[in-house]
Amino acid sequence: MTPDRKTIIGKVLREVQYRISEDDIKDYLPVAEEDHPAFATDAGAKAAGYARRVIPPSYAPYISIIGLLRAFDWKEDFYFDYATGTAMFGEQELEYLRPIHVGETLTVHSAVSDVYEKQGKRPFDVIQVKFIVSDEHGAPAIRGAQSYIIFK
Amino acid sequence: MDTRTKMYFDEMQEGMAIPSATYGPMDRYKYIPIAIILRDTNPLHLDRGYAHERGMPDVVQQGPLNETFLYRFLTDWLHRPWDLRKTKLRFAANVFPGDLLTCGGTVTRKYRENGEPRIDCQIWQQNQKGEKILTGEATFTLPEKTKG
Repeated sequence: MTPDRKTIIGKVLREVQYRISEDDIKDYLPVAEEDHPAFATDAGAKAAGYARRVIPPSYAPYISIIGLLRAFDWKEDFYFDYATGTAMFGEQELEYLRPIHVGETLTVHSAVSDVYEKQGKRPFDVIQVKFIVSDEHGAPAIRGAQSYIIFK
Repeated sequence: MDTRTKMYFDEMQEGMAIPSATYGPMDRYKYIPIAIILRDTNPLHLDRGYAHERGMPDVVQQGPLNETFLYRFLTDWLHRPWDLRKTKLRFAANVFPGDLLTCGGTVTRKYRENGEPRIDCQIWQQNQKGEKILTGEATFTLPEKTKG
């Protein structure tokens, strides 16, 4: 029997570091067709009013998704067998506190903020995780929330 | 290159539509670099046979790539990409190779926060059949024409 997931409310998840590597951005820009000069070179970024080369805002969800998926273990933390069960992303909320630059190392701090049951065609649990993405100086750059839908 | 006319805070009104944009057709070969970036090689996104066995008509495009195009709808149109301040999105349906994604939005509120001009809007993304893929809200800032 699956333990009551409400017991994980308040659980602090693992801190995860993520470096926005040149390789990831080199892979991402052509796929996303993000062609603003500020994403390509420091000169392009400066011309747009940024201190140095920035990532596209569209890459921000990737940072939170990559970070959060390493912050918890489906089975150990959420009592869910990912190999046999069905889970999907629910609502995602992001607030951008400043532009993010290529090469930055960010840390994702997260905790389970809520768990509740809902009834669709099948019953499911919604696990909401709140997070802050901070920079090398500990200052928040992004904050937000991500919910995961886990079918019972 | 985005050809939509850029707008200023002074010109925006509640209820006004943000010029829509259509992206695609979606390309399955993009799912490989996205899988590498996400460190997620779930076969649902890469193996057509695996997807068929799970009742899908084809491989499923990764959710973050759907988001990419909804973000671009806003950030390509903004004067500066990082003028985006907030997003809140809900995933409603899957995207498959060949789909066309049209994105649109409506202004819901025009205000200032700590002196910064802000626009709230409802945004959405739908496929060529009119099925909603993503829905949500966004907040951004725009420059003021009167300030030059």
